[in-house]
Amino acid sequence: MSDFEYVRPTTIDEAVRFLAAHGTEARILAGGTDLLIQLRNNDIQPSFILDVKHIRELQTGVQLKDGLVSISATVTMSELVMDPLINRYFPALVDAANVVGSVQIRNRATLVGNICNASPAADSAPPLLVYGAEVVAIGSQGKRRIPLNDFFVRSGVTVLQRGEFVASIELPVPTTRMGAAHVRRTRRRGHDLASVTLCCGVQETGVVRLSYGSVGPRPVLALDTSGILADEKAPEEAKTAIFESIFAQASPSKKSMRASPAYRLAMLRVLGKQALELALARLNDQG
Amino acid sequence: MNLQTVGTSPHRGGGFERVTGQQKYVADIKLPGMLESKLVTIDCAHAKILSIDTAEAKKVPGVRLVMTAADLPQPVPRFGPQVADRPVLADGEVKFHGEPVALVVAETLHAAEQAARLVHVQYEELPAAFTVSMALDPAAPLVMDPSLRPNDPLAKTNIFNEHHFGWGEIDESKADLVVENTYSFPMVTQFAIEPHAFIAAPDKDGIAVWSTIQHPYWLQKILAGLLKLPLSKVRVYAPDPGGGFGGKQHTKYEPALVFAAMKLGCPVRLVLTLEETFQAVRRTSCETHIRTGFTRDGRLVFQDIKAHYLLGAYVDIADRVVAKGSYAGAGPYNVPAVRILSKSILSHTPPATAFRGFGNPEVNWAVESNMDEAARLLGIDRLEIRLRNLAKKGDTFIPYDKPADGDWSQTVLKAAELIEWHKPLSPSRHRGIAVGIKLGPTTGLSYSLVRLLADGSVIVSCGTSDMGQGARTVVAQIAAEELGVPYDKVSVVMGDTATVPYDQQTSASRSTVLMGNSVLKACRAIHAQLKTRLAKVYKIDESEISVEHGRVALPDREYPIPELIKVALGKLGGEIIGVGEERKDAEQGHPLGGPACFYEFNCTAVEAEVDKSTGDVTITRYVTVSDVGTSINPLQVRMQDEGAAVQGLGHTLMEHYIFDEKGRIRNLGAADYRILTTMDLPKEFYSETVENADGPGPYGAKGMSEGALLCVSSAVASAVGDAIGTTIRDLPLTPERVWMALQAQK
Amino acid sequence: MEKLIPIEMNINNQHYKLEVSPSKRLLDVLREDLDLTATKECCGIGECGACTVLVNGKAVNSCLMLAVEADGATILTAEGLASNGRLDALQEAFLEKGAVQCGFCIPGQLMAAKYLLTQNPHPTREEVEEGMAGNLCRCGGYERIIEAVLSVAEKGEEQL
Repeated sequence: MSDFEYVRPTTIDEAVRFLAAHGTEARILAGGTDLLIQLRNNDIQPSFILDVKHIRELQTGVQLKDGLVSISATVTMSELVMDPLINRYFPALVDAANVVGSVQIRNRATLVGNICNASPAADSAPPLLVYGAEVVAIGSQGKRRIPLNDFFVRSGVTVLQRGEFVASIELPVPTTRMGAAHVRRTRRRGHDLASVTLCCGVQETGVVRLSYGSVGPRPVLALDTSGILADEKAPEEAKTAIFESIFAQASPSKKSMRASPAYRLAMLRVLGKQALELALARLNDQG
Repeated sequence: MNLQTVGTSPHRGGGFERVTGQQKYVADIKLPGMLESKLVTIDCAHAKILSIDTAEAKKVPGVRLVMTAADLPQPVPRFGPQVADRPVLADGEVKFHGEPVALVVAETLHAAEQAARLVHVQYEELPAAFTVSMALDPAAPLVMDPSLRPNDPLAKTNIFNEHHFGWGEIDESKADLVVENTYSFPMVTQFAIEPHAFIAAPDKDGIAVWSTIQHPYWLQKILAGLLKLPLSKVRVYAPDPGGGFGGKQHTKYEPALVFAAMKLGCPVRLVLTLEETFQAVRRTSCETHIRTGFTRDGRLVFQDIKAHYLLGAYVDIADRVVAKGSYAGAGPYNVPAVRILSKSILSHTPPATAFRGFGNPEVNWAVESNMDEAARLLGIDRLEIRLRNLAKKGDTFIPYDKPADGDWSQTVLKAAELIEWHKPLSPSRHRGIAVGIKLGPTTGLSYSLVRLLADGSVIVSCGTSDMGQGARTVVAQIAAEELGVPYDKVSVVMGDTATVPYDQQTSASRSTVLMGNSVLKACRAIHAQLKTRLAKVYKIDESEISVEHGRVALPDREYPIPELIKVALGKLGGEIIGVGEERKDAEQGHPLGGPACFYEFNCTAVEAEVDKSTGDVTITRYVTVSDVGTSINPLQVRMQDEGAAVQGLGHTLMEHYIFDEKGRIRNLGAADYRILTTMDLPKEFYSETVENADGPGPYGAKGMSEGALLCVSSAVASAVGDAIGTTIRDLPLTPERVWMALQAQK
Repeated sequence: MEKLIPIEMNINNQHYKLEVSPSKRLLDVLREDLDLTATKECCGIGECGACTVLVNGKAVNSCLMLAVEADGATILTAEGLASNGRLDALQEAFLEKGAVQCGFCIPGQLMAAKYLLTQNPHPTREEVEEGMAGNLCRCGGYERIIEAVLSVAEKGEEQL
């Protein structure tokens, strides 16, 4: 690990000012479960580490306001899993948060951090995309909201600009009933990085939102508005055709050592069906 | 015999220290004035070193030494347990990914790490041979300099050695069925949770070294040779290793540390990262080509085995792994004709060394899988085909070696019963069964010192390393039993070559038998002294006294030994010292240098489900049964066998090195080299033993703890093969590989 | 040179005031500065759990936390499990059930188990498997570890 200076602002203003001055040489520390690995491996050698955990405005946790559930930058995966609001409205996010790393990792890793890393394999991304999340970013130009689907560029890269950081993630409380489930493939049952990660949400209107990751440079969100996927009586071939069009954007890397492209693509289809079934079951349970 | 302590499971020796965190492993030891160090490596599997510029590194505050091969005595000293082929630091050439080219020593680890990154190595990358076929290619670069192997006809190849074993004449015409296949066993690493750690410190007119070593006396010998010091001036401290599994048997970076410490005149420590341990030790990978002949009724006619083991860039102990791993390759069966050819093939990969099972699982996987295939083709039950061929107790199933030393069918039948072999299963579940055998040590020498103190407590000094297998507990139990003292009054001293008598090594599951017998003999030497002294005190003839098994029988009555110690010692007090020596000498002309001391025999049976859409294998029931002769400590036996099974499930289901196209290891470290977690265990787990007290160790014990790893892959693959209707011949059985096999059927 | 930062921590009921370099991990400060070596380092990337400690009651990998982040925190390491020479019920159970082999992973296992039982005093076997999955044991002692944790769970909360 290289030497760096540790900065611990207590207000957003302070952080914004610091990042405006040192944005390119600074890295943001929330849970640190990815950052410390990069530091240890000397993949990055920042001059400053800016710890956001002491910023009062970011300690708001999970809050419901005006039909939006906001999750502040300090909320860990463990907190998310235990949160009644999240459990009530976003069970697929609970599924995903529950499989991020081990207990020890979940006690530190934050949802916002998971998103900001922009790993294609991030398990929280597919459910957040399915639930229509928005990212609230703050910088010297002020606050802006970015739909999560516009946030990711490619592995490790987001649309965040220099000096900008994410204060929270906001999720609209579903206005129509929805059943959603997150599933994944790993090399073992114990904690592992996903070789395919996928979330499917079925709305009572018949719209299906499906998102998947780890099979391309960034997570993908696709919609089926035909009602076919949501229709349990629809013929298999019709469903398969829709899945095929949904999965057309998958382009798994040949270089990955976690799984071959052929296997990932096949598993994408297996998981798609599995998540759809689970999502439908959850939707029906609500009814 | 009425046993008191042996056969019970007292708390593990050293257990209290381990649960309270007081146990000091090498990395926990701090010496005054100790410096820290870091290895410098290049990201290459094979390269010629053109120059090493250390100037910038030396400027880092706190840096005390940047040592390269040029700073060592010339020619650069080389060492190795089988052949002195390994330079202390890379000597002009890097031969595997991770071979250190320099050692940076600094006041803090932080400074050493910073400086290590500033050592600029100019090199020319060379083609690397990192698979069996690459290494055997006539155009392959030579891994070992031919000058290191004078008069060796193989010197201009990458084959370090060839081993030929066998008996009888292979006559295909006698076989009704010949099954011929090639199986591959992956490159895997020991992955002890404690990474290797070393400290070297000048010690008056000699050197002291702390190492996570399994064989401290062997390290002492190597260092004494390198430094041209008398053995008495090389003191090796070997605190209990945090897991060894074979990977800590032999000298690694201790020589580099010793040279650095001597140059600087102060202690220097090196603690490897987990990634560095992957580049320091691994198991031999192997490709086995096997032809097995059977009669129509499933009897073995011949085994024709060619095993290509892939060694690393330096031999370490791996050529012995190849010899011993393939020697019993034909399995625990009566086979009329056997031909085994095993090759030790050098490559530009980390040096392969011992790893639990010592070369046997690699070939077992092929032999047992072929048994399964024959059973299917002949329509014979897989359990039955094994029982038909299994050597019976006393059968000489390997000529010139120890006859079968157990009723092995009992073990197999017990496993079959626990897996409910003959009960119908739900259609989604499938079973597999396999047997494994491994020779115990072929030679050995273990001394011990047992001191019966005036108050009836006991100190046992023995040079075994307790790396988790529980040797501390076992020797204490034996001494307690023999001297009639409670287990908790026995202290065990290990891990210091200056105060503890010589032990050849801790390997081959030998310690319970060889060191156990040594301690037993030391106790019996105490019995003899007690007898002499008591005869004197009571003025009776020695023949009127018997001392054995914890008790003294005088003409009038019997006493537990502790009650008579004070009487025996008299006014001066003091203690009674017994020396034990257990040796198993080499036998000239024997292909391995000596016959087996005992056999480890195991039967593993598995019930599994395969998800055909994903290739996931779920083990619903797992049974491992070992013939251990006698359990000195039943709980520890169980812990060891369960552990061996879990470790075996690793290379069976998920573990393997992944190389890039240049021979660099891509999955260094714990993120992409997966081992089992608590969530990956079999759903039901049975670990049992067969105990007929027919071993050569104390109370009829045999060595154990490797047996349960030998045939894990074979048994799991047997179940998976049954489930998917096709045989997979490459490990590990990852979901992807199982899925691919299913796709290939379509 | 890095600027040292003053921090205060309560570790195993003892107050510590020290100055740390920002690039030191909590693990480094425990092991090197305070000689609390029960906490072990293996993988260094949060995969093995050997460095698990409780920070403000939560199990974390101390290799993935800067020491400065622990400023003001209450920390429990394996050294602090036994009190007044009396072993914690988990420590006893680990010995009794044969969970300890080489022992290197054990302090981390104990801390993970401690956390698990404070969160869920009566876990099912499956919950124990899940709660302990972040702690690797290469001796393969998982069956014994799980049994030890379950045996403490059965005895009830009051003994934790």
